Amino acid sequence: MADFIRNPVVALPDSNPEAHFSEEELVFTPEEKAKIAEYVTQYPTPDGAVMWVLWLAQEKFGFLPPEVMRLVATELSLPYAQVYGVATFYTQYYKEKKGTYVLDVCTCFSCQFCGGYDTLAYLEEKLGVMRGHTTPCGRFTLREAECLGACGSAPMMQVSNGPYAYNLTPEKIDALVDAMEAGQPLPFISVTLPQDEDEMGGNRRTDAEAVERYAVPPVAKRTQ
Amino acid sequence: MTKAGDWQSYKRVLLPPVKDLHHLDVYRAGGGYEALRAVLSDWKPDEVTEEVKRSGLRGRGGAGFPTGLKWSFMPPVKPDVPRYLCCNADESEPGTFKDRQLMEYNPHLMFEGILIAGYAMSLKACYLYVRGEFANWITLLQDELSKLYDAKLAGSNILGTGFSMDIIMHKGAGAYICGEETSLMESLEGKRAYPRIKPPFPAQSGIWGYPTTINNVETLACAPLIINRGGDWFAGVGAKKHPGPVLYGISGHVNRPGVYEYPTGMLITDLLDIAGGIRGNKKLKALVPGGASVPVLRADMIDGVTMDVESLHEAGSMMGTAGMLFLDEDTDMVAFLRRVARFYHHESCGQCTPCREGTGWMENLITRIDDGEGNLRDLDLLLDLCDQMEGRTVCALADAAAWPVRNTIKRFRGDFERRCRPSAWAVNA
Ligand SMILES: Cc1cc2nc3c(=O)[nH]c(=O)nc-3n(C[C@H](O)[C@H](O)[C@H](O)COP(=O)(O)O)c2cc1C
Ligand code: SF4
Ligand code: FES
Repeated sequence: MADFIRNPVVALPDSNPEAHFSEEELVFTPEEKAKIAEYVTQYPTPDGAVMWVLWLAQEKFGFLPPEVMRLVATELSLPYAQVYGVATFYTQYYKEKKGTYVLDVCTCFSCQFCGGYDTLAYLEEKLGVMRGHTTPCGRFTLREAECLGACGSAPMMQVSNGPYAYNLTPEKIDALVDAMEAGQPLPFISVTLPQDEDEMGGNRRTDAEAVERYAVPPVAKRTQ
Repeated sequence: MTKAGDWQSYKRVLLPPVKDLHHLDVYRAGGGYEALRAVLSDWKPDEVTEEVKRSGLRGRGGAGFPTGLKWSFMPPVKPDVPRYLCCNADESEPGTFKDRQLMEYNPHLMFEGILIAGYAMSLKACYLYVRGEFANWITLLQDELSKLYDAKLAGSNILGTGFSMDIIMHKGAGAYICGEETSLMESLEGKRAYPRIKPPFPAQSGIWGYPTTINNVETLACAPLIINRGGDWFAGVGAKKHPGPVLYGISGHVNRPGVYEYPTGMLITDLLDIAGGIRGNKKLKALVPGGASVPVLRADMIDGVTMDVESLHEAGSMMGTAGMLFLDEDTDMVAFLRRVARFYHHESCGQCTPCREGTGWMENLITRIDDGEGNLRDLDLLLDLCDQMEGRTVCALADAAAWPVRNTIKRFRGDFERRCRPSAWAVNA
């Protein structure tokens, strides 16, 4: 009878597990410290800078285990609990180790009906990993994301909190995964406006690295 | 003639057809920052607010609150009490993707609007809160912002007029709730982004307790247009009670999805034609006119309905963010509602019991129906749940979750009933 309660109790990360980084590794360089000081001056109190500093720490260490959160707290003279609270509130801060590439596939409602779940299933099959998990080689983490604000180019995904990839098809996904396996950087893609295509013959940014046109969305086979 | 007037010959103003408009020099060559210069040298702050009031501009972030009125809520200036603006670029409402494109293609219109608002309300600084997923766009904006500082168009003594204002970028990290204005302020202060109880309203006690105003990107981008062309011009574009140009983000089963700029008051059927009609010559089944939070409309409810607060209200929905999702006849509305409920369950901040538990129960109940294990009385249980959630929480997320659930069930009851077991009690237990 109770099997319709599918949502597991939220598992909080262990607050004091074995450290991933040694004492020597847990330091900010002088350049990073200067950057942090700059962030702090932009807010009336140092608290405001905590999100920027967590971003900086995540770029440096790859993810945010408790010892890195402690480091951030010490650096900003804030209680550890506050930094922990902030880091665990947001989905983009990684609380555990992720793959080299994190693939966030949008499956929210526009994408849901335009092939978001097909994309996710294709990637699950291709990479041999279920959503929410990392491949054994440690290269890819596959995640299901909420609306990423690019619903007109569904299905789409974001790679490692960075560039977006739009209007995904199996061929496009194959090419993207190949590029990532070869370690090539992914371009920042500009999406054209339909009215620009009519009035200006395409994209308005002449300095765009790559351009994507709006396309007819595919028919979704799966919706969950 | 529709409320939108002669929209076929409408000339875009938020995203005018100019190549490379995102560069400061191109923007200035086309008369950019002249509205700011005019305001700083010839206008009194109150006159700016009056002009915005005259324009009839309503917020484009979802709630549609009159912007001039909001600006006039700021208390009188006191020495040593800084005042702030937050520009809300958290755009996470499902179905909405206009702010991202505006920031990519015409960021200086937004920056100019921020500075004009800053002058009107005598502000010290503006925090531009961009959602963390827009990392690439944040880099683009930071580049343009540093050019702005170099050109003395931001920072201290702007254009040599003695007016000073900083624009500070803040990067979010993935939480829908941060778009809610008080949650955004908590997030800026470096706390968990739990919305605050109102009152006190942000104008009285905002970030760090100082007077604060919060506006959406597109709202602020309208300010330079109002100054340049006059509030009366703005008031004459589109629907009378909800005037101005709007970015319609059209997604779903249409041939040409994308961001389109037109006046308010466009017929929904015209917008569907503009977007190329429903893909594969299918028929329309449902439309979400303004992001996931607004009630869904059935295809037979949209005849003659225009995109403005008045007409959409009469039709039983809302303008929201003007992110329009069109769904074709093959759409499974139960699966649709299941995903919507899942979104709100995931994004509830967990502060209020009706929202934290209610969104979870919604998801579970709709999942049960979608899996073919639901009973008819589950539908009434869901409607009852909506009653228990609405208006009983700190912020409007619980209402935003209840509206689509209530209205989708009401308007597509047949789809839901067909998936439910007829008897009240499970037969095969
Ligand atoms: C749950 C929730 C989420 C919201 N998300 C956004 C958002 O992503 N972007 C936005 O501009 N406004 C959002 N809003 C509306 C803001 O609270 C606020 O009304 C708006 O930013 C005010 O700007 P405006 O007057 O220019 O529309 C949200 C509101 C709620 C209740
Ligand atoms: S209504 Fe929901 S999202 Fe809003 S404060 Fe309460 S629990 Fe948080
Ligand atoms: S629903 Fe996928 S980007 Fe908005």
